[in-house]
Amino acid sequence: MKQMQIIVLVKQVPDTTEVRLDPKTGNLIREGVKSIVNPDDRNAVEAAVSLKEKYGAKITVLSMGPPQAIDAVSEALGMGADKGILLSDRAFAGADTWATSGTLGKAIKKLGDFDLIIAGRQAIDGDTAQIGPQVAEYLDVTQATYVCGIDEVRPDAIVVKRRLEDGIERLELRLPALLTVVGELNRPRYPFVGRLLDACREKAPIEVWNAADLGFKTADVGLEGSLTHVVRTFSPKSKRQSEMLEGSARDAAASLIGKILNKKLLRETV
Amino acid sequence: MIRSNAEELLRSNIGRFVDSELIPKAQEIDARGEFPMEMFKKIGDMGVFGIRYPKNKGGSGGNTTLFCIICEEIARGLMSMGAITAMQCLMGTNFLFHYGTDEMRERYFLPAMKGEKVACFCLTEPEAGSDLGNVSTIARKTADGYVINGMKTWVTNGPVADFYTVLCQTDPEKKFRGLNFFFIPRQTPGVSVSKPFDLLGTRTTLISELAFSDVKIPHHHMLGAEGLGMDNLLSILSEIRTMTAALAVGLQRAALEDSIRYAHERAQFGKTIANYQLIQAKIANMAVNLEASRLMTYKAAKMIDNKIQCLKEASMAKYFATEGACKAGDEVTRIFGAYGYSMEYSAQRYYRDNRFLLYGGGTHEILQPNIAKWVGL
Repeated sequence: MKQMQIIVLVKQVPDTTEVRLDPKTGNLIREGVKSIVNPDDRNAVEAAVSLKEKYGAKITVLSMGPPQAIDAVSEALGMGADKGILLSDRAFAGADTWATSGTLGKAIKKLGDFDLIIAGRQAIDGDTAQIGPQVAEYLDVTQATYVCGIDEVRPDAIVVKRRLEDGIERLELRLPALLTVVGELNRPRYPFVGRLLDACREKAPIEVWNAADLGFKTADVGLEGSLTHVVRTFSPKSKRQSEMLEGSARDAAASLIGKILNKKLLRETV
Repeated sequence: MIRSNAEELLRSNIGRFVDSELIPKAQEIDARGEFPMEMFKKIGDMGVFGIRYPKNKGGSGGNTTLFCIICEEIARGLMSMGAITAMQCLMGTNFLFHYGTDEMRERYFLPAMKGEKVACFCLTEPEAGSDLGNVSTIARKTADGYVINGMKTWVTNGPVADFYTVLCQTDPEKKFRGLNFFFIPRQTPGVSVSKPFDLLGTRTTLISELAFSDVKIPHHHMLGAEGLGMDNLLSILSEIRTMTAALAVGLQRAALEDSIRYAHERAQFGKTIANYQLIQAKIANMAVNLEASRLMTYKAAKMIDNKIQCLKEASMAKYFATEGACKAGDEVTRIFGAYGYSMEYSAQRYYRDNRFLLYGGGTHEILQPNIAKWVGL
């Protein structure tokens, strides 16, 4: 069996436990907020490293972001990935999920043959859960989302479990395939200090590719290449209204039921 | 070329480990008062213990600055875990690494780097603390090796260590020139270990006495060239003091961060205590001490990395950062009010644990006269 080629998609995100919205502008206050590897992406790296330990594999971690996103790539190398690619170019800025998926997809094509792509289910900053599926569509490969278990890998197929709302689905996918994984899949290891430090050295196996390296024109990527634009970000204002129901308990209960039915929160059945 | 900053990346990753794994269990580990083997192995699994040693010899390829970052972060979570880590990274393994045989390194050093064996360092004796010239554990040379007799005390990790680096006197007439380090595996006949001491702070850093009674070891267990034990000790003294300063910085941070959080939570007379100037003054002083301690500590660490003599700077850092930790440990218990007196909160732990820093690496009663001398007195 030839060595399995695994690509892991990772994203550096602001630690949203520390992010607040500016009440006046509605914008994210990013000053002083540290960046972290998106939590689900750590599960993706762990899944890849576990497969490497079990079956043997070469892991390439792929990220897109500003230069400081190199830390996400370095951390993945610290966990056990073999090679890192950071897609970084001012032209990539402001990309929506369409433009991002296309950019990642083209980079994957440039990397060559692969057996498996693993991505986190969704990033905690955008919460779209679209990148994995869109990359799979771009590359025209099989996909399974919400993967919570990897049962078996064969030369031509992988057997996984998907977490659904009402149960678990077990699937066999033909390789090459793309998986998006959820947190319950595994417990990500911490980076090994020696590997982490190696990833910071000049000779580390990390490359940085820009738009030209991928053969893109500026209009194809980033904000210009996006189909959607963010007009405004804001916190929904919740207006709490209270109403006191007068009368006996029975009258108040009847009145409450009536109001619930009026608002169609419950459906009356015979 | 874009590359991550190793210091920042290491700090953020060790910090994440401390926040997620160590701090949630710190109170429980401290209350149990046992050697935290599970946490020790987790830290070993991450390759932390090899931070000072080259990668091609079983280490992680770091330096003193990175070592200090690790010590600071782990001490921020639990001082005793920081102390255990420092012992494993530096004093407990340094001479074995540099002067041990390949077989000794294979059997003891490499497992120690993975957290599979516990190391310790035996210097102090009942009558020889700061006055190491008075060491009376004798290593008598014989045809087959050395026979060691004597007693060591205040041995960090003594009750759980798998091997010891022991300072012995081979010829009392030579005084300092007769001092040498020896490698003694725990299982060697004639080694006995006392019960752990009952300690005020760092309660999971188990400390005991060790007695050596006709302990026979081969010649090659002498670590380093004969007569150079004291020189070899001095070669890591700056690093020991800088590392101790880093532990103190970690404790200061923990105390300051808890103080700020509590000051924002605790309300009295209709507003949080963060609004009161006397609390603000305490927080400001803690922050200033922390900043100064941090600068002094990492200045000394950088000097060590650049191979610049810095015993003065390291001693100043150790002295200042430790005094800062003692002040921070005091102030946090005042900011917490009566809750600082409760074992339920971490504040009391910072108050007790800071005392540990006062003794190792030189008492302040020894450091202050030395610093005065070095600046021209």
